[in-house]
Formats: sequence, C-alpha cells, structure tokens
Amino acid sequence: MRLIRYAFREGWTSLVRSGTSTLFSVTAIALAVAVLAAVLLFTTNVERWLDEWSSSAELSVYLDDGTTSDERGAIEDAIDVSGIAASREYVSKQEALARFRDGFSSLSPLAEGLDGNPFPASVEVRLAPGDGVEAALQALARQLITLPGVVDVQYDRDWLNRLAAGLDVVRRLGFLLGLLMALAATVTVAAVVRLSLYSRRDEIEVMQLVGAPVGYIRGPFVAEGVLQGGLGALAALAVLGAGFALVRSLYGTALAQVLEGLPVGFLPPVYWAYLILGGMVVGAAGGFVAARQAV
Amino acid sequence: MIETRHLSKFYHRGVYALRDLTLTVEKGEFVFITGPSGAGKSTLLRLLLRQELASEGELLVNGQDLATLSRPAIQEYRRGIGFVFQDFKLVPSRTVLQNVSFVPEVLGVPVAAQHRRAFQVLKWVGLQHRIGAFPEELSGGEQQRVAIARALVNDPALLIADEPTGNLDPDLSLEIMNLFREINAGGTTVLVATHDRELIRFVGRRTVHLDQGRIAEVM
Ligand SMILES: Nc1ncnc2c1ncn2[C@@H]1O[C@H](COP(=O)(O)OP(=O)(O)O)[C@@H](O)[C@H]1O
Ligand SMILES: [Mg+2]
Repeated sequence: MRLIRYAFREGWTSLVRSGTSTLFSVTAIALAVAVLAAVLLFTTNVERWLDEWSSSAELSVYLDDGTTSDERGAIEDAIDVSGIAASREYVSKQEALARFRDGFSSLSPLAEGLDGNPFPASVEVRLAPGDGVEAALQALARQLITLPGVVDVQYDRDWLNRLAAGLDVVRRLGFLLGLLMALAATVTVAAVVRLSLYSRRDEIEVMQLVGAPVGYIRGPFVAEGVLQGGLGALAALAVLGAGFALVRSLYGTALAQVLEGLPVGFLPPVYWAYLILGGMVVGAAGGFVAARQAV
Repeated sequence: MIETRHLSKFYHRGVYALRDLTLTVEKGEFVFITGPSGAGKSTLLRLLLRQELASEGELLVNGQDLATLSRPAIQEYRRGIGFVFQDFKLVPSRTVLQNVSFVPEVLGVPVAAQHRRAFQVLKWVGLQHRIGAFPEELSGGEQQRVAIARALVNDPALLIADEPTGNLDPDLSLEIMNLFREINAGGTTVLVATHDRELIRFVGRRTVHLDQGRIAEVM
C-alpha cells in the first residue's frame, strides 16, 4: 500500500516533468484504445440491430389461390407445433395488394394497370428470437413446402447469419489491429519511461546504495507507465465520445431515417472501464520493461 | 570490521585498478585512503559498497564475504552503510527534508518517524533552517551537509566518503571533516578517500596510501 502510494506519487512527478515525451506515449496508447473502442462501438451497435432484426425476422408461407380453409388450418397447425413462431398472421390476396400499394406508392400506377390481383395470400410468421432455431426453422420450411396449398416458403435468416459472420470478421480484425497498436504503444511507453529513467539515474543509484527494495526503485516507473496508459485511454474515450455526440447532433435526424428507428448508442460504461484498464496494463507493461532493463 | 585479503580488481585482464590489497580496518576506526588520481581509491570504495565484485582475493565486512551476497542480502548490507560522494548526488526535485527522509521512507519506517529522524540529523549538521529549500538553492557546503545527513539518517555502522570535499573550498572542507570526526566519535567506522594531504594532516588519522592499485605506505 505504502509502495503503491509512493510509486504513484513519484511516477506522477516524473510524468509531469517529462512533458512532451509523455505526449508521445499517451498518444500511442490513445490511438490503440481509439481503434479498439471504435471497433467495439461499431460491433455493439450492429449487434443490437441484429437482435432487433432477428426478433422481427419473418417466415412467409405463400398459398395457392385455391387453398381451402382445411388446408390452411393444417399449415397453421404445423407452424404452431414447431414452437419457433412468436406469432402468425394470415394475409389475404386483397391485403397483400393493399400492402403493396402502401409500401410502393410510386409504383401504384403499375398496380392499377394489372389485370385482377397477382399477389398470393400468405401466412406471415414472426419468429421467436434466439439462437439454435436454425435447424428447427429449416425443418419447418421443408415440411411446409410439402403440404397441399403451399406454393413457396421464404425466410430471411440467411442474410442475418451472413451479417453476423461478417461482424465476427470485423471484430477479429479490429482486435488484431488494436493488439498490434497496443504492442507498439508498449514499446513507445518503454522508450519514454527509459528517458525518464535516464534523467533520474543519480536518484536510482542513490536508491540502490541505500538498499531500497527493488519495488521502490522500479515502482515509480511502472506507475508512470500506468498513468500514461490511463490518460491515453481516457483521452481516446473522450475524443470518441465527443465525436459520437457531434455526429449525433449534426446528422441525428438523417441518421434516424436511414436506420429506420434502429437503436444507436455509445459504449456502455463497463467497456469504458475495460478500455481504461487495458490502457493502464499496456502502460504498466511498457514501464516495467524499461525499469527492468535499467535496474 | 573490514578485512581484505589479496584483494584485486581489474577491468581489463592484466590492467589492475587495485592489486593484492591486504588491509584491516577495525570497528570504530577512522581511516583515510589517499593517493594520486587513478590510484584505485574509488575502486576500493565501490567494492565496499558492493557496486562491483572483486576480481581476485576476498573482501569481508563484519565477517561476511561480499562476493557471496544475494540480492536481498546486498540490500540489507547497504542499509548499514552511509555514503557521501564528491558530487553530493542529491535529488534536485526534492526538498532538503525529502532528500533525507526518503531513505527511511523506502525502508518502511513510519511517516512520523521518517520526519523526526530526518529533522534530527539535519539539525545535527546545522541545516534545520533550510529544510524546505531545494538543493539548487544551497551552497556546495550546505549540499554536502545534506548528503551527510542523508548518510547518517539510518544510523550506519560504516560511513564511506569518496572525495567528499573535492568540490568545496578549504574552510568548508575542514568543517565537513569535523562532522566526520564527530560521527566517528559516536562509534561509526569512517572511511574517507581523498587526495588532499592538507586535510589528512589536519585530521591526523591512519592513512592508507595507494599507488597504481597497490598499498604504497600506511601511516
Ligand atoms: N569502470 C572502469 N572501467 C575501466 N577502468 C576503470 C573503471 N573504473 C576505474 N578504472 C580504472 O581503474 C583505475 C583506478 O581508478 P579509480 O579507482 O577511480 O582511481 P581514484 O579514485 O584513486 O582516482 C584507473 O586507472 C581507472 O582508469
Ligand atoms: Mg576517485
């Protein structure tokens, strides 16, 4: 406890005295943290959208014009038995046409020109959210297509899966880049701490000659790295947060339209804590490497 | 207290900084190490502080062979030694009091005791009125007295000084020597390396004269 207090007090003095060189290491750590934070910001938001989308994902069962109500009943029974449907709704031919008109008003002259009603009736199934419904969904689709009265079965889960996989790749690449930058930041911190070790070599010699424990000699330099890391991470989060708020205030309404009400949020506080902690660990590593080489 | 047996130190094979030194210093003694520049005075003191290891022979302090000390044992050993250098080696960013009190601080002495002890030794060297000053605000003689206070704060059994008056004018040098005499009178073994014959004559203690790493004369 005493050692920690001593180390941070001395580390802080040293940090303040190093001035410009400290700026380098703080910037290096800030860049690494900013990359990680940006990746996290992107992936957490897209993940939220994925959740939203998968909970609203639909299975459409298109019916033949001549489907009887018995046949429809059998189809609806099969859907209910499968257990993966949150709700289902029968959409008649007339409703399908009306929806088309509403959704594509610019195309409505096209619809006016049509002979009769080309839209099939369908049963729209809202799927229950959750993992592991894939197999059940495919089985259900295979079963439904064999039932009398069913013309086609469509479900839009594939693109969601592809998106999730793509997101995974982005996340991995982002973390890899962040890791590489963290490594570079460690090296930078080590170089900066080495400078401050050099400027305090008389003091270190005195410490060694009075028989100070190694922790007291190295501690201040590790603490200096930790402080650099914490400051860098804080700076990165502050800049990213400010940028986020700025984009939101400038383009908030336009963005909301593009995203059609999908939720957008900044990183949750737990992530801030992890990122700041990460910055401190990187700084500590740099400080320790430098101190260990010197003492 | 200190015993060397055929002690030698070389940095390059065949070029001895210290050669075949056999010497005994009793507990409570005051001994000068003298000789021209390059004679090996500083080398002997560095060996005593265990900053370096002997190349040949043995160096024992209180019966302990310094070559066999582990890292924690070296720390423990050094805690019993005070040292003073020609260039003071004060920490510029610390006040006079902090320059002295950080020694007990890093050795785990409680805060109140750190300050009491530091103040005591600073008062003893006559600097109680300068405890808040920074080293650069002090004269050379005052800086060296701070360094002496720092050396004494742990109540060492052995005090080692390497050219402690090298940067001071003669009056101040005598003042510093008087401090050393008093320290010695309190029972501390004192070892001072200096090439200043005037000073040695003034103090009048046993003197080991080195030349090219060998003992040329003991007076
Ligand atoms: N680190 C070193 N590397 C090589 N030679 C050294 C080193 N330290 C001292 N010497 C040599 O050892 C000899 C004794 O030096 P030193 O003990 O400093 O003498 P003094 O203190 O009596 O002036 C000198 O010839 C010096 O050049
Ligand atoms: Mg010398």
